[in-house]
Amino acid sequence: MNRIISRFALLSLMGLLPCQVRANHSALPDEVQVQNSFSIGKNITVKGTVVDKNNEPIIGANIIVRGNAGNGAITDLNGNFTLTVPSDAVLTVSFIGYGSKEVPVAGKKTLHVVLEEDSELLDEVVVVAYGTQKKISSTAAVSSMKTKDVAQKPVINISNSLAGRMAGVIAKQGSGEPGADGADLRIRGVATLGNQSPLVIVDGVPRDFSRIDPNMIEDITILKDAAAVAPYGMAGANGVVLVTTKKGKNGAPVLSYNGYVGFQNPTRITDQVNSYEYALMKNEAAMNAGYPNYYAYSQHDLEMYRKTCEGAADADRDLYPNSNGLRDLIQGNSVITNHNLQLSGGSEKFQYYVSLGYSYQEGMWSTTDYQRFNLLTNLSVDATKYTKVSLGLSGWHEKKNYPGAESGDIMYQAYRTPPVSAIQYSNSLWGQYVGKSLFGLAYHSGYREEPADQLNTTLSIEQKLPFIEGLSLKGVINYDPYRKKNKKYFTPIPVYTLDASQDPYQYMEGFQGPEKPNLEQSFEESVSMTYQGIINYARTFGKHTVTGLGVVEARERNVWNMSAKRLNYGINVDEINAGSSNPADMGNGGTSWKERQVGYAFRLGYNYDNRYMAEVSGRYDGHYYFAPGKRFGFFPAVSLGWNLGEEAFMKNVEWMDKLKLRLSYGESGNLAGGSYQYMSDYGFGTAGNIGGVPVMGMWENLQGNPNITWEKAKKFDVGVEFSILNGMFSLEADYFYEKRSNMLMAPNALVPAEYGITLSQVNAGSMHNQGIDLSLNFNKKINKDWLVGVKGTFTFARNILDEVFETDATYNNPNRRRTGRPDGTMFGYHALGYFTYDDFNPDGSLKAGIATQPWGQVYPGDLRYEDLSGPDGVPDGKIDEHDQTVIGFSNWAPEIVFGLAPTLQWKNFDLNALFQGATRTSISLGETLVMPFFDSGSATKLQFKDHWTPENQDARYPRLTSEVTVNNHRQGSSWWVRDATYIRLKSLEIGYTLPRKALDFIGLSSLRVYASGQNLWTWTPFIKELVDPEAKSANGKYYMQQAVYAFGLNITF
Amino acid sequence: MMKIHAIIKTACLATSLVLFPACEDWLEIEPKDRFSDTTVWGSEDNADMFLNDIYNQFPHLNNETQNLDQYSDNSYVGAEWMNARTTIYTAALSPTSWIPGPWDMWKWGREGNSDAKGQYERIRSCNLFINKVTESGFSDSYKKERLAEARFLRAWFYHYLWMAYGGVPIITEVLDNNVDDDIFYPRETAQKTFEFITRELGEIKDDLPLRRSSSELGRATKGAALTLKGWVELFHASELRNPDKDKSRWAMAAATLKEVIDLGIYRLQPTILDLWTEATNNNDEVIYDFQMSKQNGGRREGLFGPVFVKGVQASWGNMQPTQELVDDYCMANGLPITDPASGYNPDRPYENREKRFYQSILYDGSIWQGEEIITRVGVGSPNEIDTSSSSDVTNTGYYTRKTLDESVNGADNLQMSNGMANYIFFRYADVLLMYAEAVLEAGDKNTAIDYLNMVRTRGDNMPSIEDTYPAGITENQLRDVIRRDRRIELAFEDKRFWDIIRWKICDGPDGVMNRPVGGMKIEDTDGDGVWEYNYHEVCQRTFLPRMYYQPIPQYVLDKNAVIRSQNGGEDGWVNGQNPGY
Repeated sequence: MNRIISRFALLSLMGLLPCQVRANHSALPDEVQVQNSFSIGKNITVKGTVVDKNNEPIIGANIIVRGNAGNGAITDLNGNFTLTVPSDAVLTVSFIGYGSKEVPVAGKKTLHVVLEEDSELLDEVVVVAYGTQKKISSTAAVSSMKTKDVAQKPVINISNSLAGRMAGVIAKQGSGEPGADGADLRIRGVATLGNQSPLVIVDGVPRDFSRIDPNMIEDITILKDAAAVAPYGMAGANGVVLVTTKKGKNGAPVLSYNGYVGFQNPTRITDQVNSYEYALMKNEAAMNAGYPNYYAYSQHDLEMYRKTCEGAADADRDLYPNSNGLRDLIQGNSVITNHNLQLSGGSEKFQYYVSLGYSYQEGMWSTTDYQRFNLLTNLSVDATKYTKVSLGLSGWHEKKNYPGAESGDIMYQAYRTPPVSAIQYSNSLWGQYVGKSLFGLAYHSGYREEPADQLNTTLSIEQKLPFIEGLSLKGVINYDPYRKKNKKYFTPIPVYTLDASQDPYQYMEGFQGPEKPNLEQSFEESVSMTYQGIINYARTFGKHTVTGLGVVEARERNVWNMSAKRLNYGINVDEINAGSSNPADMGNGGTSWKERQVGYAFRLGYNYDNRYMAEVSGRYDGHYYFAPGKRFGFFPAVSLGWNLGEEAFMKNVEWMDKLKLRLSYGESGNLAGGSYQYMSDYGFGTAGNIGGVPVMGMWENLQGNPNITWEKAKKFDVGVEFSILNGMFSLEADYFYEKRSNMLMAPNALVPAEYGITLSQVNAGSMHNQGIDLSLNFNKKINKDWLVGVKGTFTFARNILDEVFETDATYNNPNRRRTGRPDGTMFGYHALGYFTYDDFNPDGSLKAGIATQPWGQVYPGDLRYEDLSGPDGVPDGKIDEHDQTVIGFSNWAPEIVFGLAPTLQWKNFDLNALFQGATRTSISLGETLVMPFFDSGSATKLQFKDHWTPENQDARYPRLTSEVTVNNHRQGSSWWVRDATYIRLKSLEIGYTLPRKALDFIGLSSLRVYASGQNLWTWTPFIKELVDPEAKSANGKYYMQQAVYAFGLNITF
Repeated sequence: MMKIHAIIKTACLATSLVLFPACEDWLEIEPKDRFSDTTVWGSEDNADMFLNDIYNQFPHLNNETQNLDQYSDNSYVGAEWMNARTTIYTAALSPTSWIPGPWDMWKWGREGNSDAKGQYERIRSCNLFINKVTESGFSDSYKKERLAEARFLRAWFYHYLWMAYGGVPIITEVLDNNVDDDIFYPRETAQKTFEFITRELGEIKDDLPLRRSSSELGRATKGAALTLKGWVELFHASELRNPDKDKSRWAMAAATLKEVIDLGIYRLQPTILDLWTEATNNNDEVIYDFQMSKQNGGRREGLFGPVFVKGVQASWGNMQPTQELVDDYCMANGLPITDPASGYNPDRPYENREKRFYQSILYDGSIWQGEEIITRVGVGSPNEIDTSSSSDVTNTGYYTRKTLDESVNGADNLQMSNGMANYIFFRYADVLLMYAEAVLEAGDKNTAIDYLNMVRTRGDNMPSIEDTYPAGITENQLRDVIRRDRRIELAFEDKRFWDIIRWKICDGPDGVMNRPVGGMKIEDTDGDGVWEYNYHEVCQRTFLPRMYYQPIPQYVLDKNAVIRSQNGGEDGWVNGQNPGY
């Protein structure tokens, strides 16, 4: 007890612990006294040991006296505990991962308690819509993940931890920018052209989960089939992500800390040319453009650039610089850190969980960073024998800091600035290129601040009805206010230009951007209210178990925003009232709107002897998006399950733990498009100037479709789950098929280009999507010291567009037809390679029989495309749109994704890794990454080394040219499409848990140190350009994904 | 299933009595960020707002990085990615790599659902306004004037399509596929389209006021409608559209332009420098312009001004006058530099030129914002001619002065769009030159000289034609002078592109767009301290005969089988496409 108190004292000194918790614990001995005085039995002191079935002591196990949670203890490093209790007391012994055990003291002074590891099979619970179910009797296809697996990974945004860990999840992280680096999630691929994102539910309510501290999440479950998503009605068709935060557990307080500090670097950095190489390329391009006697850079220039590149002593770095935008811009080893402290415990009647988190992430340049504070409190009280009241209070405060310039603009400038343009002079002043300074943009462009606060409140009251056994009612109110502020202060960017005519050189200061600072501020507030009434019934009659669920849910969201701006700040004070007082320099705006939906969900289940299960579920759902009469829909599902493993004839098969078959079919909906498309309406706003002043204008928005409604999904799923050899090996596999109809599509292909207005979407399309997903687990404890395991996931999903609008031009051409192909299929010209000298007549014209290309005169070394067709379906000697064909897979939804996560434990060391990958996906590279001098930009080393020349006709890139044939090269063609297959070491973690003796010495229950990494290694066999395979923008001009190395600590006090 | 629905619905309603208001009603939310038909057409004030938005879609080029002079032989653009370089100079124009023109000037319609509006979106807005206001109970005076404005605007949008493509579908209805399947219109011939535009303008001209009060500036006037009509007629009379050289077409244009002159309200300003400043906005030379305001201003100085000013980059330099343009400025004595008597000195090319040269062009040694612009090679100037096109700095050795306001800081202007000089579509000098051209071609040389002189001699720019050519001038010589003066007078005002198209002088061995772009490289190669002025070939250009007409974008053909079936005829279409593509 002394040790506990001293630990809390230490913490309180650190100021880390709320004082009420300290107060509680200093009162502990008194409560014991009180308890003793009321106990019937005589108090005795019991000494005990808690061990596992291998007779290994369990450290930190909870022992509490039943009926008196205040009296308890925690086992020490040897698994021992001492407790003074009434001689007839019953002790509840529990430890995470083990089944808890009730042990009667019965007067004994020594106890030996053996805890069994949780039998994951029979007691494993899965989270489902509006509740939980036993995994063994569930008939739905779900995958889940305990976040203890990922909380120690150096990932601030939890959405980036799902890839590869859960079957059926396709996740793609498009950007690494702090505060904007969340992954796009797709459950079982893509089944619509509309909104493809899954519904995310946090603790029962639609909420954002990406900003929750991963340490605070207990479980993430993905609902995949109709049986699982039907209770979400018209929001469920794209799958559902259910996130459950941690709750208090019976037992003495457990206080723990997890934290890490890490360092980030881009996963890949494009290798740019140096100035000497650039100048050589420019000269070659000038020659190719038809100026054989004229070079852009003279011999003297070349020599001077070469000297700078070689670091010669007499180099003139300022007049002949050697810049490298990416290398110069990106600061290596930017910091990322996360700290989390949590306290949980409780008695039978009261459980609490409190947690605080802090995250900080620095950007590739120091003006970008991200900070977040998280809080989570989950309390529940048994107010009466039949009434349970729970309060969940969680929230986050985040602050994003960016420079005035957007990261896309900064990266664009980094790619664009050629090495011959000084980014920074030798005196450390920053230069400029095309009027913009890379350093100016990143460091001197003012700032953009985006603080936001989210509060999620849930109050629920659950009332059991004693007169009907198994029946309970629950009412839940959720109040989720959110506010976001945005402040942008743009300041003039000083840039410096070399005046080389002076001796010594002079550096002229000028300004990029506004002459005087500008300020823009905006404020947005939204309040979401969700009301739920839930009726639950569960009762077992002999071998028959009947369950029922009914839910009434209404949801309303009110959004309100306003903005203000001022220009021309004479005084440099970044407040809105400090700007110019000229009315023409002021502006403001704002609007508000309301969203509502209402639904009635149900689920009825029947289970016979855990062998045969049947369930129906569904929802009657309404939404404000649609016209009166089109607002409500009904979405039912039915599912069956058969636990073969429980059948009598299987009982003899000793090695088989579980064998279960599942089958489900049902309907679900998707709100694919936007609101109010049923109305023909007009927008309004400022519209130009009449009489030299701005005037208001109105315009037609779109032609309404009064019949618009939700998309309909019919989902079929068959699954098998089995587990053998005491859980050593288990597998869960599903085949799924989904038909999406009523799919929303823009009917613009049906009207001429002269039609003159955008049409609302219509429910006219259909597509189907099918595939398999599976996860397998292998775990083996080889001996006392060794434990090995592997978890694998695999998802294959392929969709086909069955009915979409397309023009005759594509539909009637089998190469170009969209119908019958997967969504996202890339179309373009098929590149045959380069024109050769043999293709031309002496006068420079193409030889007869070679198809002409309309994008300007071509020369040897220019891309040549295949003449596949003409307007009449046969090659016509002319390259035009009729020659387009399939050139790649979808970029954003790989057909196959997989993950492989080996784990290894040896004595006090543990190691786990995740290899994650995707295939059957393509990326179409563009701009500077493959085209030198794009937008008057720089070039890459790869382009320098491997472009077409008469001597290198088998090159990766066409001949260099600054003009004439750029349009020919820039056509979308197979030449720029790469197979984006990749495998990456998504995460790796090595931990060491301190041995007991050491812990004893420092007075902690548990201490683990670890090193952890994210995105450490990426293998892309077909992409030689140094770009991340998940790149959002295939021109490289985006904030790169980051590789992270981190070092951390887990402490249980 | 119906039964289940009924049961559920009953249950829903029953529950909602307890828990919520009736489901349907609860989901009925009036949006606050949009209006319905009844609001927009409910009052003259509201309908005016609809018309305001149409005015706002006028393709003024004060804010565009690409401009029409780049597409012509007047200006070069350093940025490789701009349409002029990727598509025009390389003759890469095709149905799949068409260009929409600056500010989508001849963009047809929407290709997809999210791309920018084209002319048919604007035409629909006009049709809707005309339809709704005609049906409305608004006052007769409102209807008369506003309907005339809407028809003026519609004709304006059509004239871009007609100049770019020739004949186009003429749609004057509000298309609605819910009530009518007949939404696929064929292309009308170029002649029919011309007749539609000029008939419309002729019908409405008298419904428009002669002048606008200060709060109505920017709205259509009678002079604007007549000038547009005259310009369209001039285009129709020119070589491209008038291969038979029918003189009556010139006479028709001349008559309309004379009507503008006879309105008697337009005057030339003292010099061309008095046209593009905030102070001189709405002067008597302006016939039709797009108004600027501080909130919605222009960026010309940032886009088109000299790149380095006082050592720092102030502009993108997107308007780089070509050597060919510079060579077309006369000497102060009125003679072209090619005339042996002109006194032109190739070693001092910028001396003794006509006044408009100094008012229009920034050359090596000229002063801008108090600083000397130096483009010569080897003295370390940031504006040194950029022969590798690796920066925004001039590739020709020249920058633009005309149409820019010297008091405006370019870098600031680029960021803030605070240029306050209105964008002038039509001004009186243009009308005078058009008239001179029309009467000359119609056979009246003396009247042509009179009207040409008004422009040519303004502000002591040059001597009159009579003084320059005391021995008299031939019709062919005069045609050259008018064309050269038109080029010079209207340089950087987005007229040259249409002029060289209608004169049909782009292609062939002498084609102005079928030869390299020239610049001036001033260097001292032999180190003798004497600067040499060497012609510098900036870039090659190709112009194919088909490019006098823009290709009909492929998506237009793909979506309209009626157009696709149009072949032959007086315009020689092939599957609805202009010949040659």
